Amino acid sequence: MIPTELSEIRALALRGIDAATRDLISAAKTVYSTPETGFSEFKTAAFVQERLQALGFVVETGIARTGMKAVLRGAQPGPTVAVIAELDALRVPSHPAADPETGAAHVCGHHAQIGSLLGVATALSAPEMKNALHGNVAFIITPAEEFIDIQDRLALKNAGELEFLSGKQEMIRLGTFDDVDMAMMVHTSAGNGSSGLSVGGTSNAHVSHQVRYIGKSSHAGGAPDQGINALQAAMLANSAINAQRETFRESDVVRVHGIISNGGSSVNAIPGEVLYEGRVRAKSVEAITPIAERIVRCYRAGALAMGASVEVQSVAGYHALRQDPTIQQMFVENAELILGRNSVNIVPDSQTHGGSTDMGDLSMIMPVIHPYANSASGVGHGHDYIINDYDRAVVAPAKVMAATVIELLGNSAQKATETLGKSNPPMTAEEYVAVQRGRFSTETYNPS
Amino acid sequence: MAERANLKSSFSSAINKRSDELERVARDILDYPESGYREVRTSKLVADWFRNSGFEVQTGIAKTGVIAMLDTGKPGPHIAVMGELDSLIVPGHAHADAETNAAHACGHHAQIGSMLTVAAGLLDPSVKDGLVGRISFMATPAEEYIELEYRQSLLAKGEIEFFGGKQEFIKLGFFNDVDIAMLTHTGGETSGTFGIGGSNNGMIGKTVQYIGKAAHAGGSPHLGVNALNAAHLGLAAIHAQRESFRDSDTVRVHPIITKGGAAVNSVPADVRIETYVRASNVPAILNTSEKIDRALRAGALATGAKVRITTNPGYLPAKYDDRLTEIYRHNAASLIGDDNVIQLNHSSGCTDMGDVSQIIPTIQPTANATSGNGHGIDYLVENYELAVIKAGKAMGMTVIDLLADNGEKGRKVSGAFNAPMTISEYLHRMRGFRSDVTYSE
Repeated sequence: MIPTELSEIRALALRGIDAATRDLISAAKTVYSTPETGFSEFKTAAFVQERLQALGFVVETGIARTGMKAVLRGAQPGPTVAVIAELDALRVPSHPAADPETGAAHVCGHHAQIGSLLGVATALSAPEMKNALHGNVAFIITPAEEFIDIQDRLALKNAGELEFLSGKQEMIRLGTFDDVDMAMMVHTSAGNGSSGLSVGGTSNAHVSHQVRYIGKSSHAGGAPDQGINALQAAMLANSAINAQRETFRESDVVRVHGIISNGGSSVNAIPGEVLYEGRVRAKSVEAITPIAERIVRCYRAGALAMGASVEVQSVAGYHALRQDPTIQQMFVENAELILGRNSVNIVPDSQTHGGSTDMGDLSMIMPVIHPYANSASGVGHGHDYIINDYDRAVVAPAKVMAATVIELLGNSAQKATETLGKSNPPMTAEEYVAVQRGRFSTETYNPS
Repeated sequence: MAERANLKSSFSSAINKRSDELERVARDILDYPESGYREVRTSKLVADWFRNSGFEVQTGIAKTGVIAMLDTGKPGPHIAVMGELDSLIVPGHAHADAETNAAHACGHHAQIGSMLTVAAGLLDPSVKDGLVGRISFMATPAEEYIELEYRQSLLAKGEIEFFGGKQEFIKLGFFNDVDIAMLTHTGGETSGTFGIGGSNNGMIGKTVQYIGKAAHAGGSPHLGVNALNAAHLGLAAIHAQRESFRDSDTVRVHPIITKGGAAVNSVPADVRIETYVRASNVPAILNTSEKIDRALRAGALATGAKVRITTNPGYLPAKYDDRLTEIYRHNAASLIGDDNVIQLNHSSGCTDMGDVSQIIPTIQPTANATSGNGHGIDYLVENYELAVIKAGKAMGMTVIDLLADNGEKGRKVSGAFNAPMTISEYLHRMRGFRSDVTYSE
């Protein structure tokens, strides 16, 4: 349990957050009202920068286009704990708060993360804190957690502005996490409303496929015999993918889903080019490999059937989330202390959210936690996802994270040291970058 | 001309004396249907009829085929008048065999009747003496392209090479010196008419086997390779080709699944399909066949199964001879009136008369004497007088036109015919259709 001297520090931090409540919620709502999609969160980044500077931080900006980092240094040396928030919105044009021009909308609650990060920063920037901490706190604000707009991001990659397609992946590559030892963030959720927070569980790894069918266009009424229908090829591939489903094991938590991003240019022409974007998810990058092979076989089959050719570009996606049990235990204890018993719902480690997050990638190289704050109604990524309890979404996570950081770095950073001693991340940042680079590939299949 | 009119008149009178008997033969065959290369009883009945009528008869040609020859003893054209021995297999047909389900749902029994009618009339000495050349009455097996596994087994045993009876006749040399061929098929156009001209699709046949990997469908589906899913995808891919078929090619692709899995709780590992690929011309058949193979292979590729595609030659497109048709039209009209001789359209069905039509001038008029759907349970010959007697008379009178006057018209029809291929080219082409490839992508 937390030593007495730390409980005073913690109480001070909590009071700081309480005093700033209105301001933190207002900051989250400001971000909510200016939704921007990944790697384009310029207004949001400027706003966060300004708020951090107002707290006295020196902010490093423009990391991976819009990412930022601000470090609070403790009086004594020690490990660095990162508190993370994500900048980006999704694209759901039917959401009531969607940007009418871009369709961007905060239907994944990242705006609340900004509020809680500012809460932790507010609490820990109080002058009394510095002396209590052995080590540093890095506030890292990451772009582009939602793995969307792949074609646009690939264009940025081709232009040399990015190499990897998500914010945390890029920041790992750029060395932003090189001086960080462990990390935490809290994500909102529309999950079980009976508890304020959910901790534990894992997420799926994924890979993205950019699939381009090349047929031959011709007049669909006058000369259909002269064409090669790229849309039929894509649809047959989709049917073939569906026929694989009986071979998926539940324990692999496989998700395969795609969209036709260009299904033909005009209805009176046999489609000569069709773009399909597919995604394959499973419990780990290793579990994806054999599934992705089958899916690529299906893409080829569509081409073979129609005499089309197909180009399949595999884009490295996310890794599965490994949550650190030591930090998680501290987080739970602090939550119960601050928010009361029954405030935390524990999810077994093996339970996989079908979705994916680039916190998974970070978890490959350091201990992390990624709890959820149950504070929303509606369906995640849906048009009805609304945060309706900002105390739960912003304030409570700020308090529990601040207390957890204090526990990690207070008392000569004993807990942080213990955490690092027990944790055994599967790869170094360098190894991670090599693995990700290996997951990019392009193949062309031309059966004729 | 007067001479020919007299010959036709004697020819008709000779038939009229035997018309009841000739119709009876057709009805007898209706009641004992036998499918292709199994027409044992029908073959014997035909051979016996010819022998009893004094013909020289060859039997056992291509298993069950029969040829009876009428030789005038004078040199001249050689004409084949034909009838098909085989029935279909249509369970539920009123005249279906209780055991085999064989049924004459295509009216071939009436063809035998009309062929015998021609023979009965030409046999009359006063008719025969007015003609030159020879007439071969050919009762051919297996026109319906069915029971592919059975025929495949005959092929394996070396008993046949081709699945159609007339194809075997051609291969065995029975058409080597034949100049002209004719056969009357029953038809369901306007009742009481003869149909002339027209054309037929050609086809090839495919047997397809998907080879997957069996596994417990509930316990370990991830260890299996589902051959039925492969087949479904192959079939879906075939359907996706349809928009690329040209109207003028009248393409028909109509697969059936002959084996869809062994047990529902096991991932299917052996699934079989049969299909035809039909079209109005050989390039379209070949082009479509490539698309079908590609589609079938895609099913295998998608699932990781293997697919074995065995392609067998089917029938060639039929194109009937205009000059011969014109002679026939005059005779048919003299029997039932100009207005009752109608022009046929292209038929997307196929016949091995198509193969014959590629090498010699050929006609296959229809006697529209039936009710119900062709190949259906309700297909019945209603008008035997038209289908047997008048059909025989129209063909026989055409033979008289061809072989009277020293065979002048027969020579003209034969000489004017521009054969798409010789018999040896025909055999080469048919053998070239054959392939057996296993794809494992």
